[in-house]
Amino acid sequence: MADIKIESVTKRFGDFLAVDNVSLTIEDQEFMVLLGPSGCGKTTLLRAVAGLGMADEGRISIGGKDVTYLPPRQRGISMVFQSYAIFPHMKVYDNIAFGLKMNKVDKAETERRVRQAAELLHIENMLDRYPSKMSGGQRQRVAVARAIAMKSQVLLMDEPLSNLDALLRLEMRAELKRLLAEIQATTIYVTHDQIEALSMGDRIAVMRNGTILQCDHPTIVYDQPATEFVGGFIGNPPMNFLDAQVQRHNGSVDVAIGDFKLAPHALYQPVLKPYDGKPIVIGIRAENMETLSTPSDDAIKVRVLVVEPLGSQNLLTVKIGANTVKVSTHPSFAVAPDQDVWLRFPAEKIRWVDRDSGQMLYPAAV
Amino acid sequence: MKKRRNWAPYLLILPSVIYLAIFFAWPMARAMTLAVWDADAVLRLKAEASAESAGAGTLPRGTQVEILGQQGNIVAPEELTQRNLRTERWFRIEAERADGQPVSGWAQETRVRVREESESGEPLAGTIRRKLGSDADPLTDVFSEASVASAVAGRLEANTRVEIREQAMLELWYLVRGEADGTPAEGWAQSRYIQVYADDTTGRIDRGNAGELTNRYIQAMVNDRFFWPALWTTFLLMVLIIPVQFVLAMIMALIIQQQLRGNSFFLYVFAIALGVSDLAVGIVWYAIFTQYGYLNSILQGLGFIGAPIAYLTADTRYWIIIAIWLAEVWRATSIVMVVVVSGLQAIPNEVLEAADLFGAGLWKRIRFVILPMLKPSLQVALILRTILALQVFAVVIALSGGDIVTVLANEAYRQYYDLRNVNVAAAYAGLILLLSMVSAVIYLRLVRSNEEAQA
Amino acid sequence: MSASGQLAQTAPVQASAEMQKVRQAALRRQRLNRGVTYFIAILICLWVLIPIWFIASMALTTPEVVRSYPKGVLPFIPFSFETMRFFLSSQGIIPGTINSIIVAIITLLLSTIIAAPAGYAISRYLFPGRDFYRLSILAVRAFPVVILAIPLAVVFINFGIYDSVYSLALMHTALTLPTTILVIGSVFASIPYELEEAAQVYGCTPLQAFRTVVLPLVAPGIAAAAIFTFVMSWNEVFAASILTVRNRTLPAQVLSTLSQSSEPYQFAGAFFMMIPAMIFIFVIRRYLFNMWGQISK
Repeated sequence: MADIKIESVTKRFGDFLAVDNVSLTIEDQEFMVLLGPSGCGKTTLLRAVAGLGMADEGRISIGGKDVTYLPPRQRGISMVFQSYAIFPHMKVYDNIAFGLKMNKVDKAETERRVRQAAELLHIENMLDRYPSKMSGGQRQRVAVARAIAMKSQVLLMDEPLSNLDALLRLEMRAELKRLLAEIQATTIYVTHDQIEALSMGDRIAVMRNGTILQCDHPTIVYDQPATEFVGGFIGNPPMNFLDAQVQRHNGSVDVAIGDFKLAPHALYQPVLKPYDGKPIVIGIRAENMETLSTPSDDAIKVRVLVVEPLGSQNLLTVKIGANTVKVSTHPSFAVAPDQDVWLRFPAEKIRWVDRDSGQMLYPAAV
Repeated sequence: MKKRRNWAPYLLILPSVIYLAIFFAWPMARAMTLAVWDADAVLRLKAEASAESAGAGTLPRGTQVEILGQQGNIVAPEELTQRNLRTERWFRIEAERADGQPVSGWAQETRVRVREESESGEPLAGTIRRKLGSDADPLTDVFSEASVASAVAGRLEANTRVEIREQAMLELWYLVRGEADGTPAEGWAQSRYIQVYADDTTGRIDRGNAGELTNRYIQAMVNDRFFWPALWTTFLLMVLIIPVQFVLAMIMALIIQQQLRGNSFFLYVFAIALGVSDLAVGIVWYAIFTQYGYLNSILQGLGFIGAPIAYLTADTRYWIIIAIWLAEVWRATSIVMVVVVSGLQAIPNEVLEAADLFGAGLWKRIRFVILPMLKPSLQVALILRTILALQVFAVVIALSGGDIVTVLANEAYRQYYDLRNVNVAAAYAGLILLLSMVSAVIYLRLVRSNEEAQA
Repeated sequence: MSASGQLAQTAPVQASAEMQKVRQAALRRQRLNRGVTYFIAILICLWVLIPIWFIASMALTTPEVVRSYPKGVLPFIPFSFETMRFFLSSQGIIPGTINSIIVAIITLLLSTIIAAPAGYAISRYLFPGRDFYRLSILAVRAFPVVILAIPLAVVFINFGIYDSVYSLALMHTALTLPTTILVIGSVFASIPYELEEAAQVYGCTPLQAFRTVVLPLVAPGIAAAAIFTFVMSWNEVFAASILTVRNRTLPAQVLSTLSQSSEPYQFAGAFFMMIPAMIFIFVIRRYLFNMWGQISK
């Protein structure tokens, strides 16, 4: 059992509050992704777990044992660093064996575990080489092999793929996912790449300004972001946001986007009632809008500004009021810039955002 | 980086290549040559008293010779400054014999008494001298050319008046016979190479006109009474200085790496010695160790000693070594520090964190990660220091006067400057070059293997 | 207890007491380490500064005090320029200083002029022979170049340029050239070539691009290299003693009269020779690692 419990952890650098009273529990063998833009505190939080930068306040425990102020080597963890941090003066074999040697694992066992780790990462024929003669991708494999050879129950990864080129990153992503499922370690994985987060994590914790905005399964984070920021950070293209006005209409509320009126989903009626007569923000993803080439009562007329064919879809940029909106359409949908199209918003796909707080509004039970 | 291949880079490096060829490669070759090449070891004799004539065997410098004859020969004016040169002057004269026959030709200056001179001192006219000795031929030969070997153009009686038309300076050539290694040789040689004894019939070969390879200078160096002490002291100082410097430089570098408050002050202070002249450092430490200096002042002030101790004397050589050791450690640690700091800065922080995370405590980190990764820098610094230690010079002179305790560079200086013995000085220079070259080869190897490892 | 209750109020979740102890111990250790580090750093500073302190206080007092015993550890009592004046008015010191400055300036100019294009070439071009050239420069740098003063003296005598500050400057240039080339090379290497290309794209000729974009950026680094060249020449004593007789530089002059000179003269001389070096090292201290760091790469 190696669950990781982060309780009310705060970390400051001088006046800068890098991690602000964060609590997070990672279950045994869970793959947790910390996602956020640079400077959000995700790496600082990871380093507090690793013991490379001690928390100022709060408690961190691994497998029920308080490790808050233990030095890293006493925490029973292993880690893959962003720059790989492999030892340039050691052969690949010695790099992988380093942790075992430091922990006085006997020779035969070391050899067995190094070979096993190398095989898992397909670098078993490079054990005699020096890292300086290897490509970035190969060094990455050495770094991962070194971490898994430790057989620690906790594996920390700090943006391990960010130094690889796009193609290699795609390949390693799938491989890492398979590998981590195989070794069954509790993993915290830090990244700023939302695709990586969505594709790999059991859960994603989205961070900003030192706090966790949302921590949930990838599909939920994607579909029901907790805040406007999460919606805008995750997804490519990010979620669209439109300014609108809530109006009472026949005992229920309507939402007006300019002259266009929209009926919210029944579930959201109670949520939106308090906003009667007030502005609100509509959030909707590009792929959730229906594009029509002919007018329809329940669709808003928009002018197409840009058409970007992306192969599997066409991405339209349109303007609704002051907001720029990205709409994805099927490639067969014929459209050209300066043409008018009509957009239909499926009621169940619309998310509602409080304009002042940026919080998404959800009915009590969804 | 421009990958285009063109002539521009060659043009840009050309001045430096030429400069180093002239002022580095050539002197280096000269140093080697001076140390092993005796430039005037052998005298090549000539069959006749003329530079163009065929060779007639050789004799080494210092051979005793018999002088069998002599003859003048034209000498170029710029060679007149040569050492040991014996010359004779000849006049071209015109005269009228007692019987009215005109005679013109060349006569030796010794045969003519100059009676008239121009305002600038040029001889214009004179008379033939009377020969001494009753049985001598009373007539003086006048030759067709300025050489006793040429045909006689006429004979003149003593006191005949002669007009001097022209004069020529001749160098004497000697016909010498000598023996070297059992093989006799006989031939002509210019006076400048021969030292003639007072009896005018014997002499010795003072210098040669051809060189030969020799180990004389190297032997002279090795047999010099200061050689072994100098070599020994140089190595002793190296062994004493280098380890202390490395430990101290490591400590300094680790302090700089801590980024303490006041780091730039510490860095400056640690680096000051980098720019201080070795002579000044020698004097500074002399001020401390001299009999009425600071060390005694402090010790006496604290009551440890009653009277000043004389440290820097021939009887207390070890104190001189200690003083030189301290001065060199004081002076030359900063360069090692700078090299080590840049080596430390090249170790990424994440690598150290990784070591910590995988179980290495501070000492294991130093032992397994920091030191091995610092190895290239340490080796470079080591070799730089070794080569600098071979050149220790002014500090030694300042602290020992240069003879109680001496080192190789100091001996090179003494041989050159005090003893005027360029070749032995060059032998010392060659020895220092050789010792350095051995280090430099290692240095190059290291650099190469390094670049391979990082390629 | 009330204390724990307060703690619980301000920070509801705290590490266990055991962990707090671990932390306290770590912090104590850290403070101790820091203290020890400061202590050692200050000790080393004293080791470096005290001898300078001694010589400065000798140089800036009266000759009588210099000759007195025991000497006071407190400096400058009485403060006086008399010793300094005595030294500077000694025979050959002012001409020696002027010679030293002339030699150092010629060396600085020559070696910068020759090294700058070479440094540019090794940092900007990939050409066959580049590595060989760099290795050769490194090798020359590691040679005891001053020792070459002895054969050079013979050469200079043959050419009739012995005992001249100009020929000494030629020797000093050979001494400093390798270092200067490597340093200037690293200075150029720190300026991306793209900057030059950008300037050319925006209409500069290559020469204009060099002058308007590269030169201002590398000027401080090259100046630092030049200053270091000056210091090396100013300090050099072996070659100066071999290659000059009447036109001695300052160190050569001091060395040649060292055994016959009085202590006030020696101490003032040492201090006088140290002054420019101490100032210059202060000026270029930021560039020290640029200069020496790269030799290990």
